Amino acid sequence: MTVQEGGPEPIIQARALSKWYGQVIGLNNFAVRVMPGITGIVGPNGSGKSTFFKLVLGLIKPNAGSITVLGKGPWKNPELHSSIGFCPDYESLPTDSTGREYLTLIGKLHMMHGTALADRINEVVRLVEMGKAVDRRTGGYSKGMKQRMKIAGAMLHDPKLLILDEPLSGTDPLVRKDIIDLIKRLNKEHEHDIIVSSHVLFEIERMTHDVALVYRGRTIASGDISEIRNLIDRHPHNIIIEGQGTTALAKMLLDQDYVVSVRFNESKDSVTVQVSEPNRFFDGLPALIENAQCSVTKMYSLDDNLEAVFRYLVGG
Amino acid sequence: MDVKRVLVGILALTLHYTKKLLFGRKVVITILVGLFVAAVMAYAGSQSHAPLEDGTNMMDTLILFFFMPVMAMIFGSSLIRDEIDDKSITHIATAPLDRAFTYVGYYLPLGIAVAVSMVSISSVGMLAFFGQHGVGSEAFEIYLEFVALVVIGSFVYSSLFLAIGVLFPKPVMVGLFYAFIWEGFIGSLPGAIQNASIKHYLRSVGCGWVDFGSISRWDQASSVSGSAAVLLCLALFFLVSGVYLFREKELA
Repeated sequence: MTVQEGGPEPIIQARALSKWYGQVIGLNNFAVRVMPGITGIVGPNGSGKSTFFKLVLGLIKPNAGSITVLGKGPWKNPELHSSIGFCPDYESLPTDSTGREYLTLIGKLHMMHGTALADRINEVVRLVEMGKAVDRRTGGYSKGMKQRMKIAGAMLHDPKLLILDEPLSGTDPLVRKDIIDLIKRLNKEHEHDIIVSSHVLFEIERMTHDVALVYRGRTIASGDISEIRNLIDRHPHNIIIEGQGTTALAKMLLDQDYVVSVRFNESKDSVTVQVSEPNRFFDGLPALIENAQCSVTKMYSLDDNLEAVFRYLVGG
Repeated sequence: MDVKRVLVGILALTLHYTKKLLFGRKVVITILVGLFVAAVMAYAGSQSHAPLEDGTNMMDTLILFFFMPVMAMIFGSSLIRDEIDDKSITHIATAPLDRAFTYVGYYLPLGIAVAVSMVSISSVGMLAFFGQHGVGSEAFEIYLEFVALVVIGSFVYSSLFLAIGVLFPKPVMVGLFYAFIWEGFIGSLPGAIQNASIKHYLRSVGCGWVDFGSISRWDQASSVSGSAAVLLCLALFFLVSGVYLFREKELA
């Protein structure tokens, strides 16, 4: 994320940015330059990723420092929203509306109407593979469908910059793969600049090698992911898998050389897998799930290994 | 400022929220209140020997005095607050529309929805009462006057309760206090203290318009033009205050 003299302008630039909520510090002297392309913002839960995005979107105002997005200050600058699409990490879909009603309202607020809007809705719905579900109430959507619909809403007006806050959170492995593929496609084929956050570095690594590590409200490292990877490999990675038939999956996982341990949690349908090479784990998991004939409903990573790396990086 | 974008944005929000408010879950409340009003007024009508007097008093007490602020509170105080709390406001707050106009896009459908609900409830009540005595021209005139009053009241109360929804984290509690304690009790006290309620000015306008019932002989009433001006000023004051609060609000 370093920029060369005379190179492209950063799409986001934050200098000495601070935001606090009463006694709680959200961001503390935060600095980052985000260049065009896909950029990953990685940090444990509560590290300040979402606060940074809210500042980028002008939903909150900074207490100190400055931030520019596409060359403009975001607070009280609604025109900037024409160029930004945002997919939040929380459930923001209006549960009493259908997906189509939700997208129609967003489209109209972005000056789209008539057949152009209807065509664009059909196009993005096809892109996120929501199909007929677009005419169902969003309250009945699964987690993966909600994520897809939020991404559809974010990209409906074809913004230059897409901000995706934890888009893979709580999704099953297959949906996870689909969303990662979609994000890469949006950058490569549709030329969106994308900022994507996660508390799992390996998820980001599958989309980009350009990352900023955020910890306790500060950027502690940024640049190519490979150097950080070496650090992380020294710390085993804990992943929790939930679903039906996880016993068979656990047996198969124990046979893999990249799995350090498998432990059943309090619920018999939940296992914690400790892996030394997360990339191989994520690559091999869909085949193992199929062979074990199990149904995975949820998979998520704990922050502990990332916390350890961050503590190392900040000298804690 | 792109005027076309502003108008299109306000229209989109107005259509969306009018539909949501009128055909969403809150329609059940309108139906239940309508049934209650119909039952009470039908019974009162069956016992009445002076229908124009009694019918007017019932409309005054039941509709204007009680349900007008209560319905505006139910519709208005949670409209923006619910979206802030469940964060579904995000896609509105990240639209390319200044929050001042977004707020207007909440206010207009709220006023329309409260007005439609109150006019419906008033119509049901009037039919239940006067249907038993024949709806003559005088009864129809009373109906139109009360319809005008509830439409005015809808937009004034809506501006207040919408602002309360932005300002307070528990707007329903504040709304209940205002609707029942302030409007209901303070607004009924004798003397100048009752001038500090919206109801006072609404009934003062009604005093000048309606020819029957106790409202027409109300000796505490302010002038019609003065009351109308106060109502307009109050609506604008609450609207501008709400716009300011909403623009400055951090949607964390």
